Amino acid sequence: MKKYIVKRIIYMIFVFLIVSVLMYLLYNLIPSDPARAELEGIKTTLRPAEYEQRYQNLREQMGLDDPILLRYARWMGFAPEKESGELHGMLQGYFGYSNFFKKDVTEVLPIRMKNTMIINLFVTFLALAITIPLGIFCAVRKNGKFDNAVQFMTIIGYSIPIYIIALVFIWLFAVKLRWLPVSGMETPGSNYQGMQAFLDRIYYLTLPVLIMTFASLGGMTRYVRTAMIDALGMDYIRTARAKGLREKVVIYSHAWRNALLPVVTVIIGWFITIFSGSVIIETTFTLNGMGQVYYLALRNSDYELALATQMFYCAVSLIGQLIMDLSYGLVDPRVRVDK
Amino acid sequence: MEEEQVQSPGRLVLRNFLHNPLGMTGLIVFILIFAFVMIAPRFIVLDLSFQDNTQANVPPTMKLMEIPKELKGHVADIAPGTTFAVGVSDTGKVYTWGYTRITDTINLADIPEEVQQAKIVKVATGYDHIVALDENGGVYVWGNERLGQARLPQEIKGAMRKNENLKIKQIEAGYQFSAAVTEDGQLYLWGNSNMADLNLRREYEGQIEKVALTTYSYIALLKDGSVVYGGLQKNAFSDVPESAASGIVDISSTGSTVAAVDAEGNITVWGNMINGENEVPAMDSKPVKIYGGLNHYTALLENGDVITWGSETHDVCDVPASVHSKNIENIFSGFYQNYALTDEGEVETWGLRGYLFGTDDLGRDLLNRIANGGRVTMTVGAIAVIISLIIGIILGGVAGYFGGWIDMLIMRVAEVVGGLPFLPFAMILSAIIGTRISVEQRMYLIMIVLGVLSWPGTCRLIRAQILSQREQEFVIAAKAMGVKEGAIVFRHILPNVLSMILVTATLDFATCMLTESTLSYLGFGISAPTPTWGNMLTSANNSVVIQQFWWRWVFPATVFGICTVCINLVGDALRSAFDPKSMER
Repeated sequence: MKKYIVKRIIYMIFVFLIVSVLMYLLYNLIPSDPARAELEGIKTTLRPAEYEQRYQNLREQMGLDDPILLRYARWMGFAPEKESGELHGMLQGYFGYSNFFKKDVTEVLPIRMKNTMIINLFVTFLALAITIPLGIFCAVRKNGKFDNAVQFMTIIGYSIPIYIIALVFIWLFAVKLRWLPVSGMETPGSNYQGMQAFLDRIYYLTLPVLIMTFASLGGMTRYVRTAMIDALGMDYIRTARAKGLREKVVIYSHAWRNALLPVVTVIIGWFITIFSGSVIIETTFTLNGMGQVYYLALRNSDYELALATQMFYCAVSLIGQLIMDLSYGLVDPRVRVDK
Repeated sequence: MEEEQVQSPGRLVLRNFLHNPLGMTGLIVFILIFAFVMIAPRFIVLDLSFQDNTQANVPPTMKLMEIPKELKGHVADIAPGTTFAVGVSDTGKVYTWGYTRITDTINLADIPEEVQQAKIVKVATGYDHIVALDENGGVYVWGNERLGQARLPQEIKGAMRKNENLKIKQIEAGYQFSAAVTEDGQLYLWGNSNMADLNLRREYEGQIEKVALTTYSYIALLKDGSVVYGGLQKNAFSDVPESAASGIVDISSTGSTVAAVDAEGNITVWGNMINGENEVPAMDSKPVKIYGGLNHYTALLENGDVITWGSETHDVCDVPASVHSKNIENIFSGFYQNYALTDEGEVETWGLRGYLFGTDDLGRDLLNRIANGGRVTMTVGAIAVIISLIIGIILGGVAGYFGGWIDMLIMRVAEVVGGLPFLPFAMILSAIIGTRISVEQRMYLIMIVLGVLSWPGTCRLIRAQILSQREQEFVIAAKAMGVKEGAIVFRHILPNVLSMILVTATLDFATCMLTESTLSYLGFGISAPTPTWGNMLTSANNSVVIQQFWWRWVFPATVFGICTVCINLVGDALRSAFDPKSMER
């Protein structure tokens, strides 16, 4: 097992590096000139010859004319910076400078990550609280009227794009009923403290959380239902029933515990994704989260920020894969992942 | 016990599928939508450059030209407008119909109290205002008044105050300006003079017989039968052709051209001809009167027949057969509407009846955009799936059959590609490359990006299937017979995993359509003016549109939703048809 984990981690780092090279090359296709941007402010105060001199010096200093692989190594933190001679890259915790926010990327991201996590935690818990009982219920009464209705609803749920669900929910709750705000994270201009700020936040986050929960119901309900049906078809369930156990005990004690195994791995994988926000919902509701930052960075050609966010997304999905794979073995000793 | 009939697997699958009501419904509805988006664009052709501010945000209706019951048989005057029309009955009462809501607050159907009191004899419509004339020479304006449309000239105002009658015989309205002609040849112009040339040369004062207003300008027919441009500007109308210099009996105008008819029935058209306004058709009788819409002309012939020419948009030139068979007394033509009054007092209409699904913020017909957008979305989805299937099948087949280092290599590549977070990556690609290429190239880019990024799932599936098939007896038999390896993979094993491929392809098709529309919705996919079901919803993302212009998101969202649900239903039904074990579930 240990060998397998080590192998997986090495392999994961390998994939991450390849992806980062690809990304870096891709972003370098964009025509941009940081040296010129740096000099833009003092351009008018310099004579042309002097400007050209400073510009060439700056290019030299920044190492813009170096081979792309060297620049990549600097960005990742494998090779020392040209100026200071120090390692100053991703590995050292420096993610670049955001032109759009006029801040270091490391200053831009934490608050947004926090917001995204809060939203996604709510969504995950709500979704689990709904889908697990629903899935069990449908499995127990499979092919009944209720089950068929839920099956049909889940197909609708995962077929319809989330922004259409968002439009319908906004129309219903924000426009028609006027219960909830259309967008934003807090009442503009308010300066609430303590409990009031918390309630205000809840008031604004309810609608996006509802929409994201609704959108994630379909897949999970089906998954729980399938796992539960498989478990209910096992021989030990027949044995349990033959013993004369009450149906409740059969379902919750014998079947559900076994159905839990595949479900748990999916839940773990799900929890990993709470770090990466939904681009669509966050931009629709102008929520200050990871998804919106990524959208803004791309829209405003703030490529250092976009690149950092992208690498973050990538890391999250790789780690999620790994944990999911490992958890198969952890929750179910019968499964040997290293085989 | 009944004996079970032996059936071939193919027929069993077909029977299973046919007996699944949800799957069949999904298939039928999907085929209907598919046929609609593939066939309809041939008839309702998409013009990417089309936009028309006069038709913006019109709700779904087909009753833009439906005259109120009370007015039928009593028509004294009708003035067709952009999406509305106003009419006067022979008792002097004013009626409006069509879509009269010009802005959030202005509704042309709110006829002012004084107009309802007065006995109106004539009406005229501009782009967003209405002018009415009562029997005592009083002039009223309502609608959009912000740019001086209601600021009447001193002479008219003074006369109204003193209860004098200026004997106005014609009123007209253009874009934010209006005109009135009196019987003694005076012309009054008022309104927004920033855009329009609202001047009259002194030498023409007292000689005006009739005026015809284009969008920003006007020409005048003098009492001596000559046509002049009365303003001070130099423009497309100011050089009056020789043939219109004398003997003219009637003049008219479209949005950007003017026309004159002389006593012999010759028609001269000049101005900015962009819709074939100058292509006057041959007529079997002499035209006596001419009327102009926004882009077309209608002429009333001596024998009571009607002939039209100019733009084909909104069927403005499709004169119904019933009009030809009747004796037409008068025609009211304007913008995209035509009303013909018969000698029996009936009104025949042709032109823009409305929009089944409404229009968007640029005045484009939503039905047209849904049909054409659907075609784009489905084409992109289908081609993306085909690309991903081809890559997935080839790589999966090779990896699964040969194993070893090839398998290792392919699976690692698949994992790298699968490790790229899909939506962000596609967003980057289209943000970086997409800005430098044309709209059409961008469409291909999206297809390729979608296809190239979504093959790992298919690849893994095929590989797993082939791994299990590889050890079957028929493969060993084929090997023993000396069949080439490539043939074994693609001719012996692949048909056995075809069911799996079909299911994956169906479900992937829905996913690709969803992804494309999501990208387009975010503005990173196919961008306007090319419509897709995704980017049609981009502009709907604000509360004003969601509430007031509901048709702009309800129709595209519904069609798209139904379509993806149907594809998934079909995919699900296929899966359970192929896999009898899942029937027990």
